[in-house]
Amino acid sequence: MFAYVVRRLATVLTTMLAASLIVFAVLQIVPGDPARLMLGINATQDAVDNLREQLNLDDPLHVRYLTWLVDMVRGDFGNSYTYSVPVRELVAERIIVSVPLALLALTLSTIVAIPVGIFTASRHGTATDTATMAATQFGIAIPNFWFALLLVYVFAITLRWVPAGGFPGWHEGLWPALQSLLLPAIALALPQAAILSRITRSALLETLHEDYIRTARAKGLPARRVLWHHALRNAMIPVLTIMGLQFAFLLAGTIIIENVFYLPGLGRLVFQAIQQLDLIVVQSVVTLLVAAVIAVNFLVDLAYAWADPRLRSRTR
Amino acid sequence: MSDANLLATEHDDFRHIVRRALQNRSFVVGLVITLTVITIALVSFVWTPYDVTKLVIADRLKPPSMTHWIGTDHFGRDIASMIMEGARNSIAVALVAVAIGILVGVPIGCWAAAKRGAIDEVLMRGSDIVFAFPALLSAVMITAIFGPGAVNAIIAIGIFNIPVFARVARGAALSIWPREFILSARASGKSDARITLEHILPNIANLLLVQGTIQFSLGILAEAGLSYVGLGAQPPNPSWGRMLSEAQTMMAIAPQMAIAPGVAIIITVLGLNLLGDGLRDVLDPKLRRDR
Amino acid sequence: MSETPVLKIEKLNLEIGPKPILRDINVTVRPGTVHAIVGESGSGKSMTALTAMRLLPHGAKPSGAIHFQQRNLLTLSEPEMCALRGDDIGMVFQEPMTALNPVKTIGEQVAEGIRWHEGATRSDAEDRARHLLDRVGLPEKQFPLDRYPHELSGGQRQRVVIAIACALKPKLLIADEPTTALDVVLQKQILDLLRLLVDEDGMGMILISHDLGVVADMADDLTVLRDGTIQEAGSAVDVLHHQRHAYTRQLAEASTHVPGWENRKAPRSDVPLLLLENVGKDYPGRRTGLFSTAEPFRAVDQVSFAIPEGRSVGLVGRSGCGKSTLARMILALDKPTSGSINLHGIDTAKASGTEMESLRRDMQVVFQDPYGSFNPRRTVEWLVSEPLHTLPDAPSRSERRERVLEALKEVGMTKDALGRYPHEFSGGQRQRLAIARAIITRPKLIVADEPVSALDVSIRSQILDLFAVLNDHLKIAFLFITHDLTVARAITHEVMVMDAGKIVEHGPAGEVLHHPETPAARALVDAAPDLQQTIKVRMSAAG
Repeated sequence: MFAYVVRRLATVLTTMLAASLIVFAVLQIVPGDPARLMLGINATQDAVDNLREQLNLDDPLHVRYLTWLVDMVRGDFGNSYTYSVPVRELVAERIIVSVPLALLALTLSTIVAIPVGIFTASRHGTATDTATMAATQFGIAIPNFWFALLLVYVFAITLRWVPAGGFPGWHEGLWPALQSLLLPAIALALPQAAILSRITRSALLETLHEDYIRTARAKGLPARRVLWHHALRNAMIPVLTIMGLQFAFLLAGTIIIENVFYLPGLGRLVFQAIQQLDLIVVQSVVTLLVAAVIAVNFLVDLAYAWADPRLRSRTR
Repeated sequence: MSDANLLATEHDDFRHIVRRALQNRSFVVGLVITLTVITIALVSFVWTPYDVTKLVIADRLKPPSMTHWIGTDHFGRDIASMIMEGARNSIAVALVAVAIGILVGVPIGCWAAAKRGAIDEVLMRGSDIVFAFPALLSAVMITAIFGPGAVNAIIAIGIFNIPVFARVARGAALSIWPREFILSARASGKSDARITLEHILPNIANLLLVQGTIQFSLGILAEAGLSYVGLGAQPPNPSWGRMLSEAQTMMAIAPQMAIAPGVAIIITVLGLNLLGDGLRDVLDPKLRRDR
Repeated sequence: MSETPVLKIEKLNLEIGPKPILRDINVTVRPGTVHAIVGESGSGKSMTALTAMRLLPHGAKPSGAIHFQQRNLLTLSEPEMCALRGDDIGMVFQEPMTALNPVKTIGEQVAEGIRWHEGATRSDAEDRARHLLDRVGLPEKQFPLDRYPHELSGGQRQRVVIAIACALKPKLLIADEPTTALDVVLQKQILDLLRLLVDEDGMGMILISHDLGVVADMADDLTVLRDGTIQEAGSAVDVLHHQRHAYTRQLAEASTHVPGWENRKAPRSDVPLLLLENVGKDYPGRRTGLFSTAEPFRAVDQVSFAIPEGRSVGLVGRSGCGKSTLARMILALDKPTSGSINLHGIDTAKASGTEMESLRRDMQVVFQDPYGSFNPRRTVEWLVSEPLHTLPDAPSRSERRERVLEALKEVGMTKDALGRYPHEFSGGQRQRLAIARAIITRPKLIVADEPVSALDVSIRSQILDLFAVLNDHLKIAFLFITHDLTVARAITHEVMVMDAGKIVEHGPAGEVLHHPETPAARALVDAAPDLQQTIKVRMSAAG
């Protein structure tokens, strides 16, 4: 198990390095002169030279990459060009919006989807099953930002139960902050819940056809106990994969959803930075988000090993 | 998942497949919806009720009526006409993105499966890296550097499709390679490339077809998201996503502006998903026997 | 003897959908005895077992009666059945590799039934599970309770399944082809274990099997099934000795069938066609830690032998002995780590492109699984002509068809097969097609990897006949890889016995199979079920 973790960790680090290289390449090499891109074509040569110096653009590429990487690891994300503050501060005040939002959405989708999946699988072929599966088809087809608009229209504009957007900050208390995260989280969670419940159902149904289920039945266990004690844990393996992927979707989803609800989160930060061509912010925040996705997938791998003893002993 | 049953299935008479398909409710409903959306998109090339490039301020924010079926927007443009032309954009972007995914991803996946070992490892680690970039995030990055527009949206979505198809093709091909008919083809001296063409591809085509419809519907959603944040098709070309973003501020006065494009997206995606599910059932002989 | 039967199946009929599966089945199982149900595939033997367990697929409608402990199993509710299953009735299945839950330890899986039925505490149930595993031959030292199924071999897993089935001393044990997936030595061990449990616990056992040799050794009573109806039933020795019913006779003949074979005496030619010299194959060891790797695994070790033209040679051995790895190397699908393999004096590892093509032409292959050996999406004409790819000049379309037709004729198939797809043929017909594909290039050597072990006995004897004819007429040399000694006996001149990667014995077939010298060869020969021999022994024991 220890060897497995260490080896996975090595893969994770390589993937992160490769990803950071891609981000660096896309933002620093592809545009030609990043300073010119950031300042626009109307900028004076002086201003451009100034910025080039500030960004050390005259250093060779590998030096720039390594400096950036070492700084990132040390926690120095550079200074935002548009806000003129350290990117680290920007990230710090945004992360406390985005991470709770993504976690809330993931929790909502999981606590709805897994019971629905189990319920429909245990009633396979009944009218309840068919109706629920039809409903999930709609759930998958609904774009989350459109659903968000609908939620705003109904609960914020018409019923006035929750604010239509904005974020009061955690210092205003837990409840007002949660209130403003609730609609965005629901909007993010709905399509994910629909997908996850279908995956849970089909993974369970698939598992129920395995030979060892028949062995368990031949032991005299009733169908329900077989489902909970034998099928579920095996079926969780594909479900975990999807949950790992969903975290990436949720993170990306915040870019749009935070825009719909005017939430000051990472997604909105990176989106605005892209529009303003603040490449320093973009480079750091994108790298952070990608690192988060890789880290979550690493956790999913560990969960795999927990769920499947075959992986634990296999060393590759 | 039951996907394994789509591999190396028995050969079926084409007429049998058609007959089975016509008895499958999801397939028929999905096909009808998808064909309707495509037809509407094609019709929009030659005819729409109104010219969507013309702004008629006098007619702005009209509710649905006989003259304007779904009403008009804040510039007095006919929403029904805009939905029609928007379909064109959505379908084109998603379809080309799927084509990119298949044309690049499937050969990569098949190559990895045929060669195994180090090449496989490198290719799959590569796809891990692409997967680490949330699709929308990389799309936003690409459009930031190259500028917004339909073509860049296609590239952004297409790049994400590549590792998806590569993985599906690789996984499926890997399960075909150890089969005895591959061994006997190898024993008769055929090259890996020829075996892939003659034996592997025909047997994984079903699975790729089903994955294609899934990626198609995801592409529609992704394109809508991109154009919602202003990075998709640029004005004056209508797109469903941008219609929604324009509707956002008018929510209280003209809800039809937001509802119509949303419903268009839902119906299109629903149609494709039903088609994919139906295809899976129709092409999967094991499921058929269970029923 | 007048003891009350454990199980009495009376007038059992079974339909699945509109299809009748079983008709008028009557079976009585006495305590302390084995009642065997034999039949070929599709005879309904497994369905009979599943009906008794009430584990039938959806839509199955049984009628009649199955009496067990003064109750009719067919009328019991699901909770009542659950109380019986695993407690008074145990079941062992065919496929040990997939019969255990991969995410639970073997201890948990054995203890689960005990805890469920008797409400035993965890530690109590685990103690009993420990004892059970000892009893089925999995001692604590090597097999602690916290082992997972994937750490066990097929034979060991089947022992765990048996421990689960016998955990609560059932009155009835149903074993559905319990040894079909195992090699003969393991088969013998598992059958001995089952027999021991029956004798010690006095339970009744239903043994479902396709193999008359196994049945002759194990069964007290015997029921012969075909197409869902009983052909013959009675005491096993009696039924098998007298063979009154035509179908019983047909089965018995097929399972000991020896083809009429003109070339039975080995042809004189001693020109070596295939020559192996010190061939070895190592697989890299598993990684055991971060920086440590286990010793490389030697699958094939210093193998040398020659096959002269027209000679039929058997390669027998237990599963995992390296015989399939050796076959892959001979076919040049895998490279040897050491040594050389020569065909016609050309080293297959060093052959040039055109040399390789001619080697491939001279050497063809027939696999075990008649279902897996054809691409399901191609027509017979395409599939059978595939090896023509190795010809120096691509034949024309009509030439191609001509050769396919000729090959089909040789294996007893007709021209209407050409445009059809593999799934339209039965297992035996597909194996004929596989042979047609193998002979289309007029090869000198055919490597056949378990070519008949997936087939029913009656089909098996026809395919063996076909191999004999091909050897007689086309002078093709064979390398038969098999774990089934009856096949080796029927169709080979020479037999090689392989054990742990080495050829341990090599000689004329009759000598090796009747007077094995090495322990490995003796174990194989002793374990192999032999119908006639067994009946003879049991008749004399009965007096």
